[in-house]
Amino acid sequence: MGSVFSSMRHVRGFDVARPLSIGMLVFMMLPLVFLPLASIFIFGTSKGLDSFWAALMAPEAIFALKLSMVTSFWATAFNVIFGLFAAYVLSRYNFWGRNALIVTISLPTAIPTAVAGFALLLLWGPYGTLGRYLAPHGIEMMFTAGAIILANIFVTFPLAFGVIKPVFDTMSRSLEEASATIGATRVQTFWHVTLPSLRGAIVSGALLTFARAVGEFGSTILVSGNLAGRTQTAPLYIFAKFNEGQIEAANAIAIVLALFSFLIFSVLFFARDWLDVE
Amino acid sequence: MLLLNSRRNGEVRFVVLALTLLSLLFVSCLPKPLSETGGGTNLTLYGFSIMKEVLEKAIYPGFSAKWKSEHGHEVRFTSSFAGSETITNQILLGVKADIGIFSIERDADRLKQGGFVTSDWQQYPHKGVINKTPFVILVRKGNPKAIKDFADLAKRGVGVIHPDPISSGGAQWSVLAIYGSELMKSEKESGGPDQARALQTLRAIWRNVKSTPGSAREARTQFETGFGDALITYELEGLLMKDANSPIDVVIPRSTIFSEHPAVVIDRYVSPADRPIVNAFLQYLWTEEAQRAFVKYHFRSITNEELNNEHTQFGTIEMPFTIDYFGGWSRAYPEIIEKVFRDQVQNVK
Repeated sequence: MGSVFSSMRHVRGFDVARPLSIGMLVFMMLPLVFLPLASIFIFGTSKGLDSFWAALMAPEAIFALKLSMVTSFWATAFNVIFGLFAAYVLSRYNFWGRNALIVTISLPTAIPTAVAGFALLLLWGPYGTLGRYLAPHGIEMMFTAGAIILANIFVTFPLAFGVIKPVFDTMSRSLEEASATIGATRVQTFWHVTLPSLRGAIVSGALLTFARAVGEFGSTILVSGNLAGRTQTAPLYIFAKFNEGQIEAANAIAIVLALFSFLIFSVLFFARDWLDVE
Repeated sequence: MLLLNSRRNGEVRFVVLALTLLSLLFVSCLPKPLSETGGGTNLTLYGFSIMKEVLEKAIYPGFSAKWKSEHGHEVRFTSSFAGSETITNQILLGVKADIGIFSIERDADRLKQGGFVTSDWQQYPHKGVINKTPFVILVRKGNPKAIKDFADLAKRGVGVIHPDPISSGGAQWSVLAIYGSELMKSEKESGGPDQARALQTLRAIWRNVKSTPGSAREARTQFETGFGDALITYELEGLLMKDANSPIDVVIPRSTIFSEHPAVVIDRYVSPADRPIVNAFLQYLWTEEAQRAFVKYHFRSITNEELNNEHTQFGTIEMPFTIDYFGGWSRAYPEIIEKVFRDQVQNVK
């Protein structure tokens, strides 16, 4: 079909719509995405690479980046495993309340992240619904790295699930049935048949979750305590430095995060091609 | 055969990718808090936004050196800075701070009511107040809008940046500065304080407020990035900006308030082992050395007016006043911030 169309266009001669629409697309993206991103890079390197490097190598900046990576990693690990499990249960079994569960899992997408942070505080905080019973035993979740992981889990909850579930839904059951008829156990079938066809979805779900968690701000600022060199993640560091008027320092980390998400989405884009070989 | 190969290839790639990601992140366990490297005691301090420079550059190193020479023991500080009301709410929600330095006494009071502060901070020197600074107006270089006093901020076409009184202590000082300044002037001119005039000025200025950032420091950053014509803030913010060669001028109003900043021990979270260090730190804030450091960073000393006279950049205020003019915070907050500002200025359009 596609080739027929393109050859038809060729017969008619030069297709004006093509350069026009591409140009239009780039033009529209210019003030919305390209220029704001470019200004970060222009500003960040305006005082020379030395001051950029110095801002990046500040111990508190390095700490913030590390903390962001590690907390996002654990949130991702949890959400991918959970997303896989939830997608399996919700596409295999039909039960009363199934739709309600699907809706609930998707909720965090629309909830303001500040509300997420606030909700966690009200639950786990030293004076929260649950936290007040845990605090006397020395168990404190809030204002620690654990709180940042919890917040990341909450806000990225639907992402991996959202990518994995459609694959489950459209997956052909016949392969699994075939596997079962030749004597494979449920676990063997899952491991050798179901999981391999999901790997593309798992990797893209993980990368999406990770990228989103690294950039999380609204909930983290509420639950972390925002202590520099202790519970301050990279986005909080950027905000703190901006507020202090140290825009170069904020900018250096902003550049790192921008490059980082560029990397993640590039991997996402190319990985899909070679992971989904059928 | 070919199909099988490409499949195996894909599998190998998947494993390689997964392993790289896992190994990259698994090895890097949670980074160790910076302040906990190297032993010693770590104190956590939450301060309102503008305390940052003087604490980090002078007070922390000064106290640590003193304590070390006297006791041979390392003291480190971890801190977080935000609007005074914000840090108070964080502590009320359970952030484990040892010491809090607030813009307004009301915040120390809220912690006392919540049971977080059990000792009486007013028994410290100067009722717990460690330094002070007057409220001034910052304008663009050359003062293009010809602003000489608070009333000029009400003129048509003047864009005012004013921090948010919900989260910022400085914003509340600013409201009190405007209101009290009009009362003082009317008292001098006609013999009695004219509340109607003060309310009217406050309302007119508030109509010109273009944005309400969360803290005095945030407000300054907005102003610095070119937003607005005038900013009402602590004098030291203006002087710090001048140090950094910002193109601004400081306008000293005829009459304005001196903000006074209390330091408080958050008793609930101070461990018995840290107690002597925390107490020593509090006492240190009123020493000559610390007061000199405050003045160096443009706060005005609370203990020694001579230090203030030595500082050439401090402006002279014709009719200064303090919170006592309103009968202290316990009256100023309900009577002016709530009944006047919130009910008759902010919620009236």
